[in-house]
Amino acid sequence: MNEVARHEPQAGVPARERRSSAMRPPVDIYEEDNALFVVADMPGVTRDGLSVEVDGNLLSIEGEIGIDMPEGITATYAEAQAQRYARRFTLSHEIDAAAIEARLEKGILQLRLPKKERHRSRRIEIQAA
Amino acid sequence: MFGDLRRFDAGISPGADWFRQWLDEVFSDEGAADIRSVPRGSFPMINVGRTDDAVRVYVLAAGLAKDDLEISVQDNVLTLRGRRDALPGGDDSERKRPCFRRERFDGEFVRSIALPEGIDVERAEARCHDGVFEIHLPKREELKPRRIEVQTA
Repeated sequence: MNEVARHEPQAGVPARERRSSAMRPPVDIYEEDNALFVVADMPGVTRDGLSVEVDGNLLSIEGEIGIDMPEGITATYAEAQAQRYARRFTLSHEIDAAAIEARLEKGILQLRLPKKERHRSRRIEIQAA
Repeated sequence: MFGDLRRFDAGISPGADWFRQWLDEVFSDEGAADIRSVPRGSFPMINVGRTDDAVRVYVLAAGLAKDDLEISVQDNVLTLRGRRDALPGGDDSERKRPCFRRERFDGEFVRSIALPEGIDVERAEARCHDGVFEIHLPKREELKPRRIEVQTA
């Protein structure tokens, strides 16, 4: 397992370097009246390996790829070149961070970022004159 | 496991050498690319590893279930076919809502990669979990490495 050993974060490695060895998952982001939606491709990530965090207005998505590899495997070709995914977004003030919901299915992370009540769009009826 | 794989890739590792990457983009005709190489971020991503007795192919195809990927081998070329709808169930309603990013792959794909010689296709197996397909391709018996005992003279 020496050549394709797990990439454990080492204490001596500065955070910035560790971050550079993560892949940037592709995302789709769209908006509905009451919420924003983020969909990210993170194949290989299980519930245990996933972390979704909001710190202030910063949303961090991180996931560890959990694939069991046989002993003594050597890589001959690699398009995925990291053990983990990471991506961050800044949120706007109308997002209700406490109410964010996450779902992970078949390696796809779906986030629902609800808007605070008073920011929800309201349909304005047009009165007849 | 994928963490240390970058050194096997002849190409550019992400982030590590942004300047060279930028140069390669600007003067793209400087280096010759492999005729079958694919641009970064092609769907699905493929990693290949080798053990003494088998070749293992890892296909990172988020959103695909067991029956959504067609795997075939012919003349030592592994072909993967399938379809992935980025946002399922949203034909009309999807177009109406504002979209800020659309980076995820959407539609049909076909990818082929060459395998090393000597694969026993009959015994190949595949399984999938969490959007990753693992294809196990055993080597033919006669091609496995063998330990040669040294006889006393």
